[in-house]
Parts: sequence; C-alpha cells; structure tokens
Amino acid sequence: MPTFKLDGQEIPFEPGDTIIRAAWKKGVEIPHYCWHPGLSIAANCRMCLVEIKSARPMALPILAWDEKKKDYVETTKNKLQPACQMEVTEGMEVVSKGAAVEKAQASVQEFLLLNHPVDCPICDQAGECKLQDYWLAHQKKLKRKDTEPVHKPKAVRFGPTIVYDAERCIMCTRCIRFCDEVVGDHVLDMRERGNKNEICVSPGRELDHAYTLMTEHVCPVGALTSKDFRFKARVWFLRSAPGVCNGCATGCNTWVDYDPRYQRVYRLRPRDNEEVNKFWMCDAGMMTYKRFHEDRILTGRVRQEGRVVEVPRDVSIEAASKVLEKSQRLAVVFSAQHTNEDNFVLGKLGREHLGGTALYLAALSPESVPGGWKGDAILRHPDPNPNRAGATAVAGGELRSTADLAADIAAGKIDAILSLGWAAGESVEQLANLANVPHVNLSSNIGPLTQVATVVVPVATTAEASGTFVNAKGMAQQFQRAVNAPLGIKSAWETLIEIGKRVGREIAFAKLPEVRAAMPATTSAVAAAS
Amino acid sequence: MAYAIKKPGRTVADQSYVVEAVKGLGVTFKRFFQNTIGPAENRKTATIRYPEETREYPERFRGVHRLTHRVDGSPRCVACLCCSTACPAQCIYIEPAEYEADDPRHGYERYPRVFVIDELRCIFCGFCVEACPCDAIRMDTGTHVPASWKREHFIFDKETLMSIPGKDGTYVTANPRHEPGDPTHPGLDRDKAH
Ligand code: SF4
Ligand code: SF4
Ligand code: SF4
Ligand code: SF4
Ligand code: FES
Repeated sequence: MPTFKLDGQEIPFEPGDTIIRAAWKKGVEIPHYCWHPGLSIAANCRMCLVEIKSARPMALPILAWDEKKKDYVETTKNKLQPACQMEVTEGMEVVSKGAAVEKAQASVQEFLLLNHPVDCPICDQAGECKLQDYWLAHQKKLKRKDTEPVHKPKAVRFGPTIVYDAERCIMCTRCIRFCDEVVGDHVLDMRERGNKNEICVSPGRELDHAYTLMTEHVCPVGALTSKDFRFKARVWFLRSAPGVCNGCATGCNTWVDYDPRYQRVYRLRPRDNEEVNKFWMCDAGMMTYKRFHEDRILTGRVRQEGRVVEVPRDVSIEAASKVLEKSQRLAVVFSAQHTNEDNFVLGKLGREHLGGTALYLAALSPESVPGGWKGDAILRHPDPNPNRAGATAVAGGELRSTADLAADIAAGKIDAILSLGWAAGESVEQLANLANVPHVNLSSNIGPLTQVATVVVPVATTAEASGTFVNAKGMAQQFQRAVNAPLGIKSAWETLIEIGKRVGREIAFAKLPEVRAAMPATTSAVAAAS
Repeated sequence: MAYAIKKPGRTVADQSYVVEAVKGLGVTFKRFFQNTIGPAENRKTATIRYPEETREYPERFRGVHRLTHRVDGSPRCVACLCCSTACPAQCIYIEPAEYEADDPRHGYERYPRVFVIDELRCIFCGFCVEACPCDAIRMDTGTHVPASWKREHFIFDKETLMSIPGKDGTYVTANPRHEPGDPTHPGLDRDKAH
C-alpha cells in the first residue's frame, strides 16, 4: 500500500483517499466540522487546514512585520489546504501541527464563535460538542469582537422530531448532505448569505422522513436537537454499552447510552459498522430504547378465575413449573425478538427435557408494529424482527407461525404452551385461542402473547442482558448488557434454567459463554461487538 | 533535717463548714443569675443561647445557598447540572424540564422542575456557586441553615431556595441575557428575527 507522511508518521492510503480520510482510517484525527466519513466533501468549515510540503508549495505573497526594520516587508507563506478535500499522493508530506496550522485553527475557531451564542448550559450538545473540544484544544482565547452578535431564529420546529437553533448553527451543511445523499430527500437547504445564513426546510415540507434523528447526530454542534432527548440528561453522566438495534432484521449497531446512577437508558446512537449500518440508524430504531422502560413487566402474573393477579417472581416460576410438569403435548414458541441464547435454552428445556415436538416462532409482522413498518433501500429491512434468522437457526429448522399454533390448539393437538417474548404478528383477538390451554410466557414487556398467557414470568430486556442476534444477512452480532435488571429479574435463559430446576430437569449452563459454546457456530460468532 | 510546718488555726466557723458552704453557694448563685437572667454583656460564659441568639459572622461568611430570580420571578437556573456535577458531596439533585408550549421561553430554554439541595450532606465548599454559568445559585445569604429536629427540614427544595434573600435583601440577579419580551430580545422565530 502506498504511504504518505503526516507529521512525520507514515500513513498508508488507498488511491483516491483524501488526507483526512487516510488519517481517520489510521485513527489519527485532523480537526474537522464539515467532513463526515459517510458524506460527500463540502470543505466549507476550514477547520482541517494543513500545510502540504511539496517541491513547489503554493506560495502566497504577503506583507509581514519585520521587528528589525520596524516596517512591513514583502515575503511569502505557504497556502494551507483543506485536508478533507486534498487527495493524497505517494510520498506527500503533510504538517497538521505546525505554527501556521495552529494559527489557522485558532482563527477558524474564533470566526465560528463570533456570533455563536455560548449558551452551553442550555444546549444539549454540551459535553460532546466539537466547538467546546476544539476551543480547548486549539484556541483557548477570548474572541476579540465585543459587539452584539448577530441574532437569528431560535427553537425553530423542523418537524415532529427535530428543533433547530439558527444561532448555534455553523453552516457545515452536514444535515443537508445527509438528507440528500443518504436519505435521498432534499428536504433541507440553506438560505440567506454570510452571517444571515440559516438552514431551512423546503416550503410546504417538514423534516419528517424516516431518518430525521440522524440529522441531529451528524450535527457537530447543538443546532439540531431531538425533541425526545432534549433537556432530559447531560451526556457527561451517561455511559455507553455496545448494543444491536431491536427494530428490524438489519441489526444496526448501536451505543446504548445509559445513566449508571439511575440505571436508565436515555438514547440509542449509531455505532459505526461499515458492513451493517455504516454510520446510520433509522428513527424507529433509535426509539426502540423506550421499550426498555415502558410497558414493562416487573412482577410475575398469574391468571386466576379469568383475572390477572400480580405475584412475586418466585411464585410465577412455581406456577410455571406446575403447568409444565403436567403437560404431555407441549407447544414451544420461540421468539424472533429474543437472543439466540434465550431461544437456545428454550429449545433445550422445551424439547429435550419436556418433550415438546410442536415448534413455533412468534414474530412481529409489519402490520403489527405500532405505526406500521415498511422496509426501504437504505437500512430498514421489511422484517421488523431483530432475530428471526437466529431463532430459526438455534431451533434447527423452519418454525411454524403463531397463527398455526392457534389452529393446532383448536384441533386439540396441544395441551400446554411455553412461549418466549411478548411480540406476535397477530392481535390478542386472533390469538384468543392460546388462552384455552395452560400457557407459560416469559416476557419483558406487555404484548399480545403476555395477554393470552396463564402465567407470565418477568425476564430482562436486551438492555439488561448480553446476547447475540443474527441479522437478515446472517451475521451473528453480540451485544452487551447496559443496565441491571430491576427487582431480581434475570435474563430469559437464566430464568428458563430456574424453571427447569423446579421441574427436576437440570440444564448445566452457569455462564453465558457456556451457552454460546453449546450453540450452533453460525449463531454465536463474535461480530462487530467491541 | 525535718521542718516543722505550722498548721493554720481553725475558727469555729471554719470548723462547722456551714458558713463556708453558704459562701460558696453564693458564688454559684451569683454566676447563675448573672448568666441566665442578667444583661447579656455581664455574662461570663463561653457559650451562647443558640438558636435564640446568634453570633455576628465575619464579613466574608457566605452562608447557605439560595436560587436567584429573574425579573419576572422565575428561577434564573437553566438546569444545566453544572453545579451538581461539580458538587463533591453530591448533594444537589435537579430534574430539568422544558417550558410549557405557551411560555415565551418554550423551545429554547429549560428550567429546573425539581431542584433539591441536601444541606446535611453539603460541606459548604462553594463549588456549586463557582460552577454556575448563570449566576443562579449563590452563597451570599450570610445566614446558616436553621437548627431543626427533623432531617427533612434540611432538604431544601426549589421553593425554599428561592425564598431566601441575599445579604442585601434582593432576590433578583443582574441578568445580562436577553429575555423574551424585552426590546433587545431578537425573537424566537423567523417572523420576529428579520
Ligand atoms: S444544523 Fe448542524 S449539521 Fe446542519 S449545517 Fe448547522 S451545524 Fe451543520
Ligand atoms: S434499520 Fe432496523 S436495525 Fe437499523 S436502526 Fe432502523 S429498525 Fe434498527
Ligand atoms: S457548597 Fe459544595 S457541597 Fe455544598 S452543594 Fe455546593 S458544591 Fe455541593
Ligand atoms: S444553579 Fe446554575 S449550575 Fe446549577 S443547574 Fe442551575 S444554572 Fe446550572
Ligand atoms: S472539514 Fe475540511 S473544510 Fe470542513
């Protein structure tokens, strides 16, 4: 691979790479605002200026103050070039830390902050704002302008999810380029000139495509804020765990941002993975974090004389084991929303130990997702389940649907059900049949399956347990626990082992790696999880 | 060689103890009345009758926290959590919230829905005051936390903190920000901004 020199360090590049991209691939950061590895080059912020040492540098004639002569003298200086736009050539020498570059960086910072209100206390970007970081790294000085800054609109509603603050915007056009190039919807543009520049929404339109929250994430400053996250938390309190989105079969890689003090998840952010989601996520996917805390099942539930009674977890496990002990013709319902580990241990208990031969898969259908679900050519997969492939693989073959299960119950082929997860493609009415036989359900949230169950045992959500999903491309991706499950709740596979013990069937897994080691290889491979 | 030491002679009065005991009691009672019902300046005690009486604090004594007001009476605090981040005792709890849709500050500013300082945990280091970018929390009251017999009384909520004036008797802070409504305010939407 050809190389070039950046501040004395040899850096390899592929033909066509720009300086900033080659450095970024090597893990070296050149300060930048408008450049984003997933977007086209705008080269309008000028933060990435570097000095290029070549045989004939582009020299600019300038006047410089000469102390000895006490006068200005004519001299030249090397023209700095934007590293985001400059293609690398073999043997090129680039200086990104010299005096000239530092001066340029400080000047760009000062320029960007001329009219930028320093309302960091209110701004949601505080703590992860490039302006703050680079000011400390490259300027550390007050601006010299002391007149009133130019005022622009604040708190402009861009659409149902995004609020825009024109005063904070540094006109990097990342949001415009993201909508254009990634979403293919030219809904944002720029208007006015100079210090009246602002981003605007196309007339008659709103920023309302399926990827609006990403515009907030590409914005390097606090100009775009998401209505959902605004004012809720400060990022310096949050920790991040690597996750995998629960929204569809694409399996976008996420950072699960949670507050360790309150054990609460506040947002999902895309985690870069070139092979799955590049740098992006869809709105619906980012909102799946709500499921971690809303509509949760935190106690056991037992149906007594038609009424649902909340009972402690232990009691529900006891009730579950009573149901399972008596069963002769058990139906085992795998879940396309649960991890491979959960589904695998479910198979162990339901098939090997309890002799269930009727196997089904509970999966959401596009119509059953609240608000509907449509795939697209960007990220969203038509299947709104994160782990259909994995559940099918650990079950060892094609599974029948929950609608088939209802039919089998009507035909009298089933005398008990052991099901995993809350999600099903059918409504409660369509599944009413499932309530006719004793039905044990392990679930973290309220859904159609929990509503037709006789006994519900609470289990952890995907933020509260580590696990593996297999996406539509067949990639097994591991994710890690972010928060602790409340009230002694355990992950589904641990709970299944507990139930197994109660019915006298020992399943010998104590730790997650042991479960993984026993699973089919294609479902446990470590993929992007870092 | 041994010295012969002459013992002091004892009178009958000494011998009976009564007179001397009464004399001693007299001193005790004199001090007792002097320190309890007599004028304060005559007292000869190292202690004071707290909380009825307090000592004059030095000029530089800061005192307990307060939250300053805007001119319109709303809290100056924007719930940035800088103070609670800086607090080494971790005794400040804040829940930020957005102003209601009909409020002129809706959308661009936030406020503390809940602001609580646990004064029992506080070590009065003043870091919170240093950290506040809005001059919203101050320790310029010159008073201390009043004595109480209940833990709950030391948990100061937003209303309590806003009800304490500064040493100069003011609640409002000089506020360099443009507020919606004042003529210098640039406006919050496109119609007003240009
Ligand atoms: S809103 Fe953000 S992303 Fe868009 S141009 Fe302004 S600073 Fe850049
Ligand atoms: S495309 Fe699918 S996996 Fe990716 S963020 Fe959206 S819902 Fe989640
Ligand atoms: S004075 Fe110190 S300990 Fe007390 S609230 Fe402020 S920062 Fe915390
Ligand atoms: S008192 Fe000051 S530092 Fe504390 S949250 Fe309010 S504005 Fe921020
Ligand atoms: S990053 Fe190169 S000009 Fe903005």
